Amino acid sequence: MNDFSWIGPTLKLVASGALQTIVIAVASVVIAVVLGVILGVLLCLPAGRWNNAVRWALTLYLQLFRGLPVLVTLFIVFFVSPSLGLDLASTPAAIAALSLWGSANVMEVVRGAVRSIPTAQFEAATALGFKWAAVMRLVVLPQASRRMIPPVVNLIVDLIQATTLASLIGVVEVLQRSRQAVEYYQLSAGDGHAAPIFAGVLLFFFVICYPLTVLARRMERRPSREAPRSSKRARTGRPVVEPSGA
Amino acid sequence: MTSATALRDLAVIEYADVLWAGFLMTLKISAIGIVGSLIVGLIGAAIGELRIPVLRQAVRIYVEAIRNTPLLVQVFTLFFVLPTLGITLSPFVVGCIALVAWGGAYNVENFRAGLGAVAHRYLEGAWALGFSRTRTFLSITVPIGARLSLPGLTNTMISILKNSALMLGIGLAELTFTVQKLSAETFRTVELFVVLGIVYLALVLVLSSVMHLIGRRYALGAGV
Repeated sequence: MNDFSWIGPTLKLVASGALQTIVIAVASVVIAVVLGVILGVLLCLPAGRWNNAVRWALTLYLQLFRGLPVLVTLFIVFFVSPSLGLDLASTPAAIAALSLWGSANVMEVVRGAVRSIPTAQFEAATALGFKWAAVMRLVVLPQASRRMIPPVVNLIVDLIQATTLASLIGVVEVLQRSRQAVEYYQLSAGDGHAAPIFAGVLLFFFVICYPLTVLARRMERRPSREAPRSSKRARTGRPVVEPSGA
Repeated sequence: MTSATALRDLAVIEYADVLWAGFLMTLKISAIGIVGSLIVGLIGAAIGELRIPVLRQAVRIYVEAIRNTPLLVQVFTLFFVLPTLGITLSPFVVGCIALVAWGGAYNVENFRAGLGAVAHRYLEGAWALGFSRTRTFLSITVPIGARLSLPGLTNTMISILKNSALMLGIGLAELTFTVQKLSAETFRTVELFVVLGIVYLALVLVLSSVMHLIGRRYALGAGV
């Protein structure tokens, strides 16, 4: 029982899985946030013939991928895509599924944050002659982004945790590697060391997620106390808002 | 080919009984998870609100541990580690425990936010009437706070329903497991997974509509 020689090789094996977990997590977080912000902003397009069609399609996307369990999205991407002529390997399928789910959630956050900005801000900017894109980029999003950050950080925590689902389609990430290790020791030595190995995996995720959770909570607690950061232009004394005729 | 035979050709119709059993299992485990997690959440939040020493710290550790680790790893830990301690549980029991523990941690936070949002003037009113702290908590804080918690609780309920699918990892024959198994056996992948998606969307829609109706009756807005 006091033989600790298994620890070294196990750590090595599980570490290779952890690396894969990190790759999937980073890729899907980046895609989900970028895609989600873009689509979320488009979701706030003003009413109009084409805009309504765009908004309708985006709402469908949002409702679909927020409503489905991530696991079901993952299975649909992985098992159904070959039938549609799109043969995704397990890792790209996992990244795609997590990105679909994550981006839909980011869209919802962006929409909520934009809606929380008083309409007067839109109206004032429009009255100054700004087009919709400029209103969003210069007036609304800088204010809304501060409200987006805490929920997006929470979502990143969820995404990191959801990477473990990839093990169910055969991606050799940290959970899959640990299960392999437990199985191997169970068969070869009769003792799987399941407790320390799974405790290690739980700790791995806790060490990554806990700081992010604390960060999100801190930012939630004082959203307005921070003074709005002045832009570079404001600091250099040049007018932030230029007259539209100039 | 008549439409009747075409209909019989659908794997969904052909294996309706197996799929129905999986569907019922999903409902059953989700219902247990939802009800259990509400109880755990309320007790946990009450311990925090009543500032019971030691237990309060234990609840904090429980909440942080559950919320910052993946549910699937928790499930596997329960399923593979408990037998080494001499406790062997069926996938169903492990699934229930995992969902209750996971949802409970989130509901502690939901209830905590709701109970904490009860206006101080109500509590002062109760104390002025001679209510004890416990009496105030049970008669004032909980009835009002629970209503304030409804939106958060609804989100967690929906998450529990969706996360019941993870139990396929330990071989519990719920809906997703059944569909995956059938699709491997029959190669009717597209059809089965489309139906699976529709069923989950419908379940989420029904649950959120029910909670919306309950909310219309019981939810309290800001300022209460």
